Amino acid sequence: MSHASSGSTPGGQPVSGLTVAGLSWGHPLPGSGWRQLFRDFSLSCPPGQFLVVIGSNGSGKSTLLNLVAGTLRHDDGEIHLGTRPLHKLRDHQRARWIGRVMQNPLEGTCPGLTVAENLRLAERRHRPALLAGGALLGALAGIHPNGADRRRYRELLGDLGLPLADRLDEPVGQLSGGQRQTLSLVMATLGSPDLLLLDEHTAALDPRAEATVMALTDRLVRQLGTTALMVTHSLDQALGHGDRLVMLHEGSLIGDWSAAEREDLDPPALRAMYGKAIVTPPTSSSPHGSSAS
Amino acid sequence: MLSLWLGAADQGLAYAGLALGTYLTLRVLNFPDLTVDGSFALGGGTAAVLISQGAPVPLALGLAILFGCLAGLVTGLIHTRLGVNDLFAGILTTTGLYSITLRLMGRSNIPLSETPPGILALPDLGLGLDGQWLVGLGLAMGGLILLISLLLATDFGLALRALGNNPTMARANGINQRRGLTVGIAAANGLVALAGGLVASYQGFADVTMGIGSLILGLGMVIIGESLLRPRSVPQALLAVVLGAIVFRTMIAIALQLGLEPVDLKLATALLLLVALAFGRLRIPGLSDQGRQLG
Repeated sequence: MSHASSGSTPGGQPVSGLTVAGLSWGHPLPGSGWRQLFRDFSLSCPPGQFLVVIGSNGSGKSTLLNLVAGTLRHDDGEIHLGTRPLHKLRDHQRARWIGRVMQNPLEGTCPGLTVAENLRLAERRHRPALLAGGALLGALAGIHPNGADRRRYRELLGDLGLPLADRLDEPVGQLSGGQRQTLSLVMATLGSPDLLLLDEHTAALDPRAEATVMALTDRLVRQLGTTALMVTHSLDQALGHGDRLVMLHEGSLIGDWSAAEREDLDPPALRAMYGKAIVTPPTSSSPHGSSAS
Repeated sequence: MLSLWLGAADQGLAYAGLALGTYLTLRVLNFPDLTVDGSFALGGGTAAVLISQGAPVPLALGLAILFGCLAGLVTGLIHTRLGVNDLFAGILTTTGLYSITLRLMGRSNIPLSETPPGILALPDLGLGLDGQWLVGLGLAMGGLILLISLLLATDFGLALRALGNNPTMARANGINQRRGLTVGIAAANGLVALAGGLVASYQGFADVTMGIGSLILGLGMVIIGESLLRPRSVPQALLAVVLGAIVFRTMIAIALQLGLEPVDLKLATALLLLVALAFGRLRIPGLSDQGRQLG
């Protein structure tokens, strides 16, 4: 099996690509029965690519992200980030290389902790699993977030032009949905993760907050050069963001367009595909089957 | 009358470890831990056995803490490794602990013929026995509040707080939920066992049934303390629950002074807690009823 593994950020740091191969996952249906959502599903995302995944409800978009993040355990197949076999690790172990923004602004942050404390948690993410083995002693050393941490966070948020810089010691529960999602995005990108997972992260926001968060998303992804997977319902987002667009339906890829190919797409035609099992998009690099690279 | 207040304050401070342990499990970890009913008696029994055999009080209390931690560790492992429901894991451990405590004590009740000279072996300050206890317990609880405050302000403590606040987010930030819960529950039960040891030392006996209703007692102390102080930080919250323990024991002492029959004490405690819960619900957010998915 080949891995999309090499690449580098604008700053020269190496980045990893994501490879999903032969993935299978299903779930029981209410009452009786079984729904096999993914069957021998494959997808490859080269290092540094910003991949947008679109599809209707139940198509498997968020499930795919959960399987990559490890929140759901796959039945079969392999998931690699660079050469790292993610499928062999638990979710908190995968978090070392993965930044994640949840769909619900309430889920991606700790409402009872302050902005600075949330940032500190995210900043620790890239270290070996917190509370694991030898990391325990290290985790007991020093008070955090301390003054130096706060100065660093204030500078970071200030550089990004976010008003949160003055609210470091406020509980996150007091922030608006848009502010929480912005914070969640900043947290997910702290420490330059190898992979950024964005799960319909603007779905619960008003248009203004959505525009702010999407602009910040584009900026951070470009700045870090990280590999990113963004799931969305929004056709506007699908057509206006990312390097590549794929469409999912019932756990299968039914469309795959590069940024250039996407320019030729007719939005009404794409909308007509949306949620329907039309397997012949007007322009597609690998429209048939469930494998793409 | 002064003796009544001093005695109530002493008892409140002796019970404060129970309130701190309950705060740690219920508020920090969001884990309703019924182990405390067993670990409180285990701590009391351990301390009573050792003190009655002439062991120094700090050693007896240290071993009580250790055994309490082990009891919490068992509950944590049952819950996180075997996937047993949180309440049921605590009930299982507590049920087993009854036999273990009884075995340890050798009989159901151990009287302590001489009151220990104070938990820190303080020099005689001329305050009388109740005053001596008050100073000793006050210093011990002050130190405990400082220690737990510092612990919860480290990355380790931050991880524990995140686990109770939003486990999904905590795991997404690299925190091992199973390990964190287990360590946290163990530490909380160590505090509860310390309270059991202190209460046995103070009241001059340990009984194998002394832990019955401990979770409810601890919960009442936490809610009363939070309602009174409305804490906005971790150190304030810890101070509040210790204050809650003192107020709770004082209310019980007043009820007894007003002629309440000791046989009605549990009923009075339950009613008092009911009032505290209703009062607390009005003024502070209720205990979270969010389910937990272990990752």
